[in-house]
Amino acid sequence: MHTYRKPGFARLLAVLAVLALIATACGDDAEEPTTTEAAAPQTTAAEAPEEDMPEDDMPEDDMPEEDMPMEPLRIAVVAPSASNDLAFTQSIVDAVNVIADENPGTEVAITDGTFIVEDAAAAIRGYAEEGYDLVIAHGSQYGGSLQEIAGDFPDTAFAWGTSADTLGQPNVSAYNAASDQGGFVMGVVAAALSQSGVIGVVGPIEVGDAKLYVDGFHNGALTGGASTVNINYIGSFSDVALASEAAQAHIAAGADVLTGSAQMVVGAVGVAQANGVFWFGTQANQTALAPDLVVASQVYKWEVVLRQIIADISAGSLGGKAYEIDLANGGLVVEFNDGFDLPAEVRAGADTVISGIVNGAINTMEAMAAPPEPMEPLRIAVVAPSASNDLAFTQSIVDAVNVIADENPGTEVAITDGTFIVEDAAAAIRGYAEEGYDLVIAHGSQYGGSLQEIAGDFPDTAFAWGTSADTLGQPNVSAYNAASDQGGFVMGVVAAALSQSGVIGVVGPIEVGDAKLYVDGFHNGALTGGASTVNINYIGSFSDVALASEAAQAHIAAGADVLTGSAQMVVGAVGVAQANGVFWFGTQANQTALAPDLVVASQVYKWEVVLRQIIADISAGSLGGKAYEIDLANGGLVLEPNPAFDIPPEMFAGINQVVQGIIAGTIDTGAN
Amino acid sequence: MADIFSATVIVATLSSGIRLAVPLLLASLGEAFGQRSGVLNLGVDGIMLLGAFGGYFTTLKTQSPWLGLAVGLGIGLVLGLLSSVISVSLLAEQGISGIGVYLFGLGMSDLLFQKLVGTPLPAASFQKAPIPLLSEIPVVGDLFFNHSIPIYLAFLAIPVSTVIINRTRFGMNIRAVGENPEAADSQGISVTRVRYAAVTIGGVLAGAAGAVLAIGLGIFQQNLTNAQGFIAIALVYFGAWRPLGVMAGSLVYGMVSAVVLLLKTRGIIPLGASDLAAMIPAVITVLALVVAARRFRAPTALTKPFIRGG
Repeated sequence: MHTYRKPGFARLLAVLAVLALIATACGDDAEEPTTTEAAAPQTTAAEAPEEDMPEDDMPEDDMPEEDMPMEPLRIAVVAPSASNDLAFTQSIVDAVNVIADENPGTEVAITDGTFIVEDAAAAIRGYAEEGYDLVIAHGSQYGGSLQEIAGDFPDTAFAWGTSADTLGQPNVSAYNAASDQGGFVMGVVAAALSQSGVIGVVGPIEVGDAKLYVDGFHNGALTGGASTVNINYIGSFSDVALASEAAQAHIAAGADVLTGSAQMVVGAVGVAQANGVFWFGTQANQTALAPDLVVASQVYKWEVVLRQIIADISAGSLGGKAYEIDLANGGLVVEFNDGFDLPAEVRAGADTVISGIVNGAINTMEAMAAPPEPMEPLRIAVVAPSASNDLAFTQSIVDAVNVIADENPGTEVAITDGTFIVEDAAAAIRGYAEEGYDLVIAHGSQYGGSLQEIAGDFPDTAFAWGTSADTLGQPNVSAYNAASDQGGFVMGVVAAALSQSGVIGVVGPIEVGDAKLYVDGFHNGALTGGASTVNINYIGSFSDVALASEAAQAHIAAGADVLTGSAQMVVGAVGVAQANGVFWFGTQANQTALAPDLVVASQVYKWEVVLRQIIADISAGSLGGKAYEIDLANGGLVLEPNPAFDIPPEMFAGINQVVQGIIAGTIDTGAN
Repeated sequence: MADIFSATVIVATLSSGIRLAVPLLLASLGEAFGQRSGVLNLGVDGIMLLGAFGGYFTTLKTQSPWLGLAVGLGIGLVLGLLSSVISVSLLAEQGISGIGVYLFGLGMSDLLFQKLVGTPLPAASFQKAPIPLLSEIPVVGDLFFNHSIPIYLAFLAIPVSTVIINRTRFGMNIRAVGENPEAADSQGISVTRVRYAAVTIGGVLAGAAGAVLAIGLGIFQQNLTNAQGFIAIALVYFGAWRPLGVMAGSLVYGMVSAVVLLLKTRGIIPLGASDLAAMIPAVITVLALVVAARRFRAPTALTKPFIRGG
C-alpha cells in the first residue's frame, strides 16, 4: 500500500487554492442570481498555465483566508421529526451523512424533533451564530422564521425545503422534490395490483411535496385503471393515531392498496400490515415497516441537490437559486421491495412509466386516458471491437447493457464482441437488424461508415453508435459519447499532486473520440495541478498491447512517475507501471485489479445512463436522431478510487471540489 | 531534446527495441525453416496466439513462467504438426490453409481466455538475468547483457539455426526439398518427413514467440499478437530466408518502433503526426523488403505441394 506524499499534497492545496480563486472570481461575475442560471462564466485550463501561477508564487500560508481551499464544511440540519422517522426527516439526515462521507472532515450537527416552529427558529439562529457554513431548515413551515434570520446573517448560507421559493434572500437556497413523479409511477403499479379498484391515500396537509406526491399518485392510479382513489388529508404532519384511523377508514371503503406521505404514516403502514393490504411508501424506504406488504418506496436522495448547493457555495454563491430532485437527476429513486413478488410485467410497466416521465412523454399532473403500454421486453444487441471483459472500452457497454437487462426483466441481450475487423462488425450489425432486434448498438467509432449504410436499409430498427456525437444524418441512429475529459482533468490534478518528478506519461491509442478527450482533459488537469511535463504518446493502435507496454517504458525512461492511458491495449502498460512502482490512473472501466497497489483511481463509464434515455425515446416512438452524453453531472461518469490506495481525507475533499467545479461549470477542462 | 542522446535514454530505447524484436525474431526464424523447405505457413499468428494464451494461462495458474514457456512450446509443436498435415499430407493450398490455422488460433485463444480466465489478470513474468561481469560494462552491459533468459535464448537460436541450415545434413535436406523436391526425392530424401520437421520447428518457434510475448507482458488479451505473425512472415522475405537476415529485419522493425515511441514520448514527433508515425516501422520494413527482394530469390518450390510423380 502506498501512502500519499506530503510535497504532492502541498501542491494539490496550492492548485485548489487557484481553482478556488477562479471559482470565486466567477461567482462575483454572477452577481445577479437567477433560478435558471446554469453556470458561471468559465475559465479554461489553457488560461491558467502553470507558468502563470507556479506553486512557489502562491504558498498557501500567504493566501488570504477566503481564497483557501474549501475548509471541511460545517453543516447544520434543523428538521421537524425524528432522524430515523423513515420519512421526511430521515431523508435529509441520510443525505447529509452521504455528503459527510464524501467529504471527510465535514462536521454535521442535527437538531431534529423541532415540530414547534419557534424551537426550530431558535436552533437555526443558533447554528448561524456558531458560524456553520450551511444551515438547512428542513420544513416548509420554517419559511417565515428563516426569512427573518437569513437577513441577520448575510454571510451564512441557508437552504430551505421543501420549497421552490428562495424568500427573496441572496443567501437562501430553496430545494424541492418532484415527488409527483414517483407518486405517478407507484399509482400505476398500485392500480395494477388492486383487485377492488379502490385505492386509499393518507395525506398530512395539502402543501409542498406531500401534495405533489398525492396528486401524482392519484393521477397514476387513475391512469393505471383504478376505479376510485380516495384521498384523506388528516390536517397534521405528526398525528400518527389519526393517520392510522384514516387508513382504517380507507380499508372500510374497500381499498386494498394504500399509500401516504409524511412522517405520521408509520401508524397507517401498521394498519396496512394488520389487514394484509399493500402499501407504497415515499420520502424514505419504508419496507422495514411492513416487509411483506410494502411494494415500493419513492426514496429522496437530497444529496443530489446538496452537492449542487455546496458547489455553488464553494463558487461564492450563498443562495438565491432553487433546486429540485427528480427521477431524471437521480434525486428521486423508486426502490422496489425485493421481498415482494411483483409480477415481471408490472415491474416492466413501471420502468416504462419512469422512462416516459424522464423524457417528458408522460405528464404526472393529469390522469392519462389510457395506461401506457407495458414495454415489450426489449431485444438489445451489442457489437463491440474487443473482449467483453477487457477492463476497458467493450466491458463498459456490456456492463451497461446488463444493468439495463437487470432493470427490465425479460430484456434479451445479444453480444458480438471481438469484432476489431470492421467488416465483421458490419455483418453482425446487419444480422441483428435482420433478426428484428429493437436496438442495435454499434460500439466503436470505426463502425460509423458501415452503420450509415446499414441504418438506411432498416428504417424501423433503432441503432445507437458511439463514441460519437454524430447521428450520421439518420433518423434511426442515436449517437452517444463520453465527456471523458472531465474525469481525466480531475485525475490529472491528482496525478500532478502525486508526482515527485513532475513528469507524467500518457499512453493513447489513436487521437480520436473519447480517448482524445480523456488524454486532453488529463493533460490539462495535470498542468493545472502543477506537473512540469506531460508526455503524450499515441501509439497508433487500439490493440497493440506490446507497443503500449513499450510506450509506458519510454515514459518511465523519460522520468515519468505517474502514468495513465486509454483504450483496451493499456493492460500491458499497467503491468509496466506495476513492475516499476509507478502510479496508474485508469479510464473506461475500473482497472484496480491490474495493479492493486498502484492504481490510484479509475474513471468508470456508466453507459446505462444514456441507454435508459435512448430506450425511453424508442418507447416514445423516436428511433434516433439525437446525441447523448455521459458526464460527471448525470452520473454516467464516476470516479472510483482504489480503496487500497491510501488517499488522505483532505485530498478527497480537494478532489471532490474539482469534481463539483466541473459539474457547476466553474472549471473548464480545456478539452475540445 | 538534448537528453534523448543521454546513455540512459539510448539504453532504454534500444532495450525496448530488443524486447519488441524478440517475438518477431522467433516467429520469423521458425517461418524461415518452413519456407526453406517449400512450405508457406500463414498460420503463424494463430499459433503465436495459442502459444501466448497457453503460456500466460499456465504461468497464471502455476506462477512458473518457465512452465508457461514449456506449454507454449508444446502448443506450437502440436499446431506445427497440424499445419504439416494440412499442407504436406493433405496438399492444401498454402495461401488459404494457413489463414484457417490463423483464424482457429485467434478464435480459440479468445474463447479459452474468456472461459478459463475472463478478465485480464496480471501474471508472473520472467526475471532479468544479468550476465555476471559482462552486464557491468557501461552502456553495452545494460543493453546486451541485462535481459531475461528467453531473450538470450532467442538470439542464441540465430547462430544455431544458421549452423543447422547450412552445415548439417538435415539443413541440406531442407534446402533441397525447398528448391527441387523431385530431385531430393530421387536422392532418397523423404520430402514429406523433411517438410513435416521444418514446419513443426516453425510451429514450436511460433508457440515460443507467443509465450515469450505474453509472459513478458504478464498479461493476455484477445488478439494479443496484433498481427505480429504476419509481420514475421514479411520479415522472412526481408531476411532472404536466412537466420541472420530475419534477425536483422526483426531488429530493424523493433528498433524503429522503439525510436518512434521515444520521439513521440518526448514530443519531437508532434501529436498531430502520431498516426503517421505509427506507420513508420511498417513503411521502412516494406522499403527494405523491396530492396532485398531484388537481390535474393525465394526457394523455388515455395508454396508448391509435392506429389511424387505428379
